[in-house]
Amino acid sequence: MVQYNFKKITVVPPGKDFIDIILSRTQRQTPTVVHKGYAISRIRQFYMRKVRYSQQNFYEKLSTIIDEFPRLDDIHPFYGDLLHVLYNKDHYKLALGQINTSRNIIAKISKDYLRLLKYGDSLYRCKCLKVAALGRMCTVVKRISPSLAYLEQIRQHMARLPSIDPNTRTVLICGYPNVGKSSFMNKVTRADVDVQPYAFTTKSLFVGHTDYKYLRYQVIDTPGILDRPFEDRNIIEMCSITALAHLRAAVLFFLDISGSCGYSISQQAALFHSIKSLFMNKPLVIVCNKTDLQPLEGLSEDDMKLVMEMKAEAMKTITQAGGPNEEGVLLTMSTLTDDGVMAVKNAACERLLEQRVDVKMKSKKMMDCLNRFHVAVPKPRDNKERPVCIPQAVLEARANAAAKEKKKLEKDIENENGGAGVYSASLKKRYILANDEWKEDILPEILDGHNVADFLDPDILVRCEELEREEGLRLEEQAAEDAFQIDGHELTQEQKEILAQIRKKKALLIQEHRMKKRTAESRPIVPRKFDKDRKFTTDRMGRQLSSMGVDPSAAMNRARSQSRGRKRERSVSRAAADGDGMEIDGQQSNKKLRLTSRSRSRSRAPEEVIPGEGFKDSEQKKKAIKKAKAATRNRNKDARRGEADRVIPTLKPKHLFSGKRTLGKTSRR
Amino acid sequence: MATRKFRFYFLRVIFLVASFVPRRLTLSGIQFENNCEVGVFSKLTNAYCLVAIGGSENFYSAFEAELADAIPVVKTSIGGTRIIGRLCVGNKNGLLLPHTTTDQELQHMRNCLPDQVVVQRIDERLSALGNCISCNDHVALTHPDLDKETEEFIADVLGVEVFRQTIAGNILVGSYCAFSNRGGLVHPHTSVEDLDELSTLLQVPLVAGTVNRGSEVIAAGMTVNDWTAFCGSDTTATELSVIESVFKLREGQPTAIVEDMRKSLIDSYV
Repeated sequence: MVQYNFKKITVVPPGKDFIDIILSRTQRQTPTVVHKGYAISRIRQFYMRKVRYSQQNFYEKLSTIIDEFPRLDDIHPFYGDLLHVLYNKDHYKLALGQINTSRNIIAKISKDYLRLLKYGDSLYRCKCLKVAALGRMCTVVKRISPSLAYLEQIRQHMARLPSIDPNTRTVLICGYPNVGKSSFMNKVTRADVDVQPYAFTTKSLFVGHTDYKYLRYQVIDTPGILDRPFEDRNIIEMCSITALAHLRAAVLFFLDISGSCGYSISQQAALFHSIKSLFMNKPLVIVCNKTDLQPLEGLSEDDMKLVMEMKAEAMKTITQAGGPNEEGVLLTMSTLTDDGVMAVKNAACERLLEQRVDVKMKSKKMMDCLNRFHVAVPKPRDNKERPVCIPQAVLEARANAAAKEKKKLEKDIENENGGAGVYSASLKKRYILANDEWKEDILPEILDGHNVADFLDPDILVRCEELEREEGLRLEEQAAEDAFQIDGHELTQEQKEILAQIRKKKALLIQEHRMKKRTAESRPIVPRKFDKDRKFTTDRMGRQLSSMGVDPSAAMNRARSQSRGRKRERSVSRAAADGDGMEIDGQQSNKKLRLTSRSRSRSRAPEEVIPGEGFKDSEQKKKAIKKAKAATRNRNKDARRGEADRVIPTLKPKHLFSGKRTLGKTSRR
Repeated sequence: MATRKFRFYFLRVIFLVASFVPRRLTLSGIQFENNCEVGVFSKLTNAYCLVAIGGSENFYSAFEAELADAIPVVKTSIGGTRIIGRLCVGNKNGLLLPHTTTDQELQHMRNCLPDQVVVQRIDERLSALGNCISCNDHVALTHPDLDKETEEFIADVLGVEVFRQTIAGNILVGSYCAFSNRGGLVHPHTSVEDLDELSTLLQVPLVAGTVNRGSEVIAAGMTVNDWTAFCGSDTTATELSVIESVFKLREGQPTAIVEDMRKSLIDSYV
């Protein structure tokens, strides 16, 4: 849908300002410095640029004017005619035509001068050509300044035109001046049109909006029309005529039956008949206004006859499917007492809607929308009942809706506590828990490295009970089984006791093992920290081995820690080493013992390296160590000065080259 | 929370500054942070109402004012997002949540909702459950590609009959229709035959229509239960009256659409 909005047309500057704008922009946007000494091509280019730039600006500015003003032939005929009535089409077209011509002339001037500039042989001549070019362009614009002024006036006027959509649902109010059109407008819309007790208070079209049956209607208030030949009508009246002629609207013809507007009913009837042709194919309602002064029934016979004649005419304006409908064609109202105002509005809207629907029903688009007007009613497919679920509280609240007091909402609390962004509502406020005191409790998310939620179970108590019960059952069963049998025959009392002992021990072992397994994650050897009771001592092993008749000393030695502490008293004393050591494994020499003793290693000479770890001799090992050190040495990444850096030494040290040279100095230096 | 990546069926969501214009008593036109897709940010059922956590309390209070006397109105997020209406599905019997829901959110909802409502998190690949499933207290329509398991969950937890359906050729049945136990609104391009078929399945009167000034994503633009509806504040008077009639709110009757409102509808659609 085309939107008619003339408010966005850019301002048209007057001719003088126009020139100033362009010239100052040229000055600002192009280079300003040029010298005689520059190459001539550069000078030419400098001035050509100026000429071309101004021409482009003129062109753009003039083009926006031409493009933004509506073309009267292209817009809706209502607007076309309205603009013609208001501004005179010829004048308007002439003004735009002039602008178009001057745009072309300027383009031509620029082209000519650019060509001349190509042959400019000095700075002075180039400059003269530029001045001439700009001067001629400005003259052209100066010549169209009356047109620009005219267009600016039109622009200002157009921006104030009401935004009427010619295609939507429209109710048009027309009639003689001073019959109460604007009063009605003020009653049904919020347009707030000026109402005064003299003719032609309303001088142009006014738009308001009203609602009827979920739809929005635009109501147009027109200036009053006098009954006179078409040519004699003034601009104000012509606005009304244009609207009547071009808008497909419901027309309300207002009739002042009291005659207080200064025109008799016969005069008004004459107007009705003279503009009758404009009502064709439009729903027409004849509204007898000011019934507070003169009721319709009290009219003289002649006047009544005139009114009835008009009514008969009004019924003919549209051919309806069900024959002429008398309802809602002639209505009475009083805008002063509000009598029948709504009835008039409803009748007009209803008749317009009916007419529009009649037209639309015949259109092709209707077929696409058929599903939108269909209410699918379910066919029963089974006997199941599917009741509606509305809580009792809602029904009660609905029953005494009036007595409802205003609740304090979260929003109100928020506003009291500093507004949005400051107030932060607790999410726990409305928890439904067994005990209200639990609401603000903090629920741990992670406990002992486990996600608490993974272990959360709403029926944990029930399940625990169930498990316990199951366990009890199992135990009972086991007790029953204790009257055990092996290989099908009863055991003697003694055997039973032994078996029970074995089983008990086994169970104990298993339990112990499980405990260990749980604590140490089934690692094979129990580290000391888990062996809290210090049960697994070497002494115990020794005792057990000797009780079995085995010599435990070798095993115990093996089990003893191989590492030695640093404490002096734990180190092997020389005497002991000499004596016992020799005794234990006789072939071990004293020196070697000393070497293996770690406590001596610190005092060893640095170059002394003990071979081993797969090295042939200490030589090889040293090499390896050196290489390892070099490999692990941090590289110089701090960009500090290193030996590999290039160095430029002080080539001429100042102290050697300054000062007076007296005798012998040079050689000394 | 599961970190697996699945395809999400989301709608366009824009978050801006909050504003709220209350319109009517039982039929409200509202906005969430300047966004009219109120069905995205809320989930309304006959037993509870979930509302997204917003920058201000305006959106929440719109629901609170209407509903707080009758049912719990719960502020929550799902998987840290605010598009809760598109992620979960529920009715008076239960609430199904996507696998993206965090444990804390799940616990929060369990604490807030009454004990009769079963809250269940399900491992469905199509994690925007609200877009894939639509239900009232008796019947559910689902996306045709939903897991068998999920279907069972829907039947068990929500206590409904489940039908795999499309609406006007759209597989996202949860987005393109909204229905209560009293009536339903579906995608505007649903043909008359489809309407009749769906209506027989659901056993409620159905109408093809729009919300939010012509939006086809019905469930995103509005949220409804048996006695209340909330629509985006862009919804026109005609749309509101259609909604009012088909959901039988405020003494509206679906027949009104073919009788009283017919002319207005023709003039506004054609």
